Amino acid sequence: MTFWEFFMDRLPDVMSQTLRHLQITGISVAFAIVVGIPLGIYITRNRHAAKYILGVANIFQTLPSLALFGLLIPLLGIGIRLAVFVLFLYALLPIIKNTYTGIIGVDSAILEAGKGMGMTSRQLLTMVEIPLALPIMMAGIRISTVINIGTATIAALIGAGGLGSFIFRGISIGNNNLILIGAIPAALLALFVDWLLGVLEYRITPKGIR
Amino acid sequence: MIEFKKVVKSYDNQIKVVNGLDFKINDGELVVLIGESGCGKTTTMKMINRLIEPTGGEILINGKNIMSINPIELRRNIGYVIQKVGLLPHMTVGDNIELVPYLQKWDKKKRRARAEELLDLVNLEPSQYIDRYPNELSGGQQQRVGVARALAVNPDIILMDEPFSAVDPLTRDQLQEELLKLQDEVKKTIVFVTHDMDEALKLGDRIAVMRDGKIIQYDTPENILKNPVDDFVEYFVGKDRLWKSPEMLFAKDIMNKKPIMILQDRTPANAVEIMKEKNVEYLLVVNQVGDRPKKLLGIVTPRELSGKGISQYKMKDIMRTQFTTVTEKTSMVHVLQTMKDKKIKNLPVVGEEDGYLKGLITHTSILNILTEAISVYDDDREGY
Repeated sequence: MTFWEFFMDRLPDVMSQTLRHLQITGISVAFAIVVGIPLGIYITRNRHAAKYILGVANIFQTLPSLALFGLLIPLLGIGIRLAVFVLFLYALLPIIKNTYTGIIGVDSAILEAGKGMGMTSRQLLTMVEIPLALPIMMAGIRISTVINIGTATIAALIGAGGLGSFIFRGISIGNNNLILIGAIPAALLALFVDWLLGVLEYRITPKGIR
Repeated sequence: MIEFKKVVKSYDNQIKVVNGLDFKINDGELVVLIGESGCGKTTTMKMINRLIEPTGGEILINGKNIMSINPIELRRNIGYVIQKVGLLPHMTVGDNIELVPYLQKWDKKKRRARAEELLDLVNLEPSQYIDRYPNELSGGQQQRVGVARALAVNPDIILMDEPFSAVDPLTRDQLQEELLKLQDEVKKTIVFVTHDMDEALKLGDRIAVMRDGKIIQYDTPENILKNPVDDFVEYFVGKDRLWKSPEMLFAKDIMNKKPIMILQDRTPANAVEIMKEKNVEYLLVVNQVGDRPKKLLGIVTPRELSGKGISQYKMKDIMRTQFTTVTEKTSMVHVLQTMKDKKIKNLPVVGEEDGYLKGLITHTSILNILTEAISVYDDDREGY
């Protein structure tokens, strides 16, 4: 049986696991955006807090994902909930950090001009700082998403499903084809999503700063 | 009217950036704040729209203490132009100009009409520029948009913080001219910060020379030039002009305003006599004498006077009519280059528009200006 036949036999299965994979990644990144961007903005207003919040987010990033999954099983049980939560923690740092870096990187002359023209600090944020920081914020989201597509394969170990389940089954029964029908779609998925977000990043970058 | 009353700005209760300012700026007046970096000029300006708040004293606009005005409201009614332009790069030229009107909730139509009107005013074709982005414009064009933006809601007061310092000298000159023309039309109260004395002298109705957070002299350009109140102002006006920017010296600054002339109907014998008496070898032939404007017709040197049978002729017959001249506004750098290239010692200066004779540049006149510039050193007192 060729690899291609092997793959076609399991196509429906691959499709549903790909969807599951996307679901885990998508939900975790969405939560990370909802939490990370406001946090990133908050710490530009409170530089003192920036140190601590970035520090904590950094710690999550350095913990091995496998260990984090293991440690949190007692709290959240196995399954998709735990997977989403851990991936959420992983996605936070790039999003917070890029939001923070993007906003504090806005040229102070531009801010002063805005302030001098009578913009309130909320107007400065929504009309000047966020639009100008948008490409960098978007890059953070892109990094988080791509990393999470990779890390989400490990989530299969805690019963969350996804493309990782083919890989781990393949390893345990020594079937290379099985490993590949998990690994190849996962890699293609990462490349595709990266490209898609790249296009989106370009589209939302204001014309004047492209 | 803007009024400063004993205004102090200090940081940590120690360093006084601005130390007891007391002055008034009248309506429709362009006042230049000038001084070296760190003298407090920018701080002074920024206190007017409360970007910086004074630690002591008060600032009144039309009799009202600005601390009693909401800073957002205050700023929306004061135009603001800064050095690095500060156009919002993600917005089109039109949107930039419409920003304050937008914040003031003008409707779209009225905003757009105003933007077009203002682009016209600063010599940018509205249809061509309104939808462009700032990064598609040259530095000079960007600064014009910056000025247009400051005028958007027709504020009475405009603050300009070294607005032309980042553009090349040619564009700067042009922008200065345009500002003067614009000011003639709109008659705003303008506070203009610069460190460039030439700019100050060119633009200011009055100039406030600042040092160490204080105003040393607050006067018209003419009085600042003629009657500097102390050595510092004199140094700042005179030496700064010459040494820091020789390109700011023009033919009119280095020429001898009373060159030796001769009327076109005089004879060679007269010419020789004048040359002997005045100890020169170069006469300017003119059409009339006295204080009236004169046309420079030609020049006469010993060479023209040395031909045989010359004595029967008049100056107008023997004078050389092919010669190089410069205008009053030619820069000194260019003057020196011309004299070097043409291998000449004498260079007549004529008016740019009227063509009348204004003066003569010679090696001596150039030396004189250099000597004047360093004459604050008093040799007689050396050693005391």
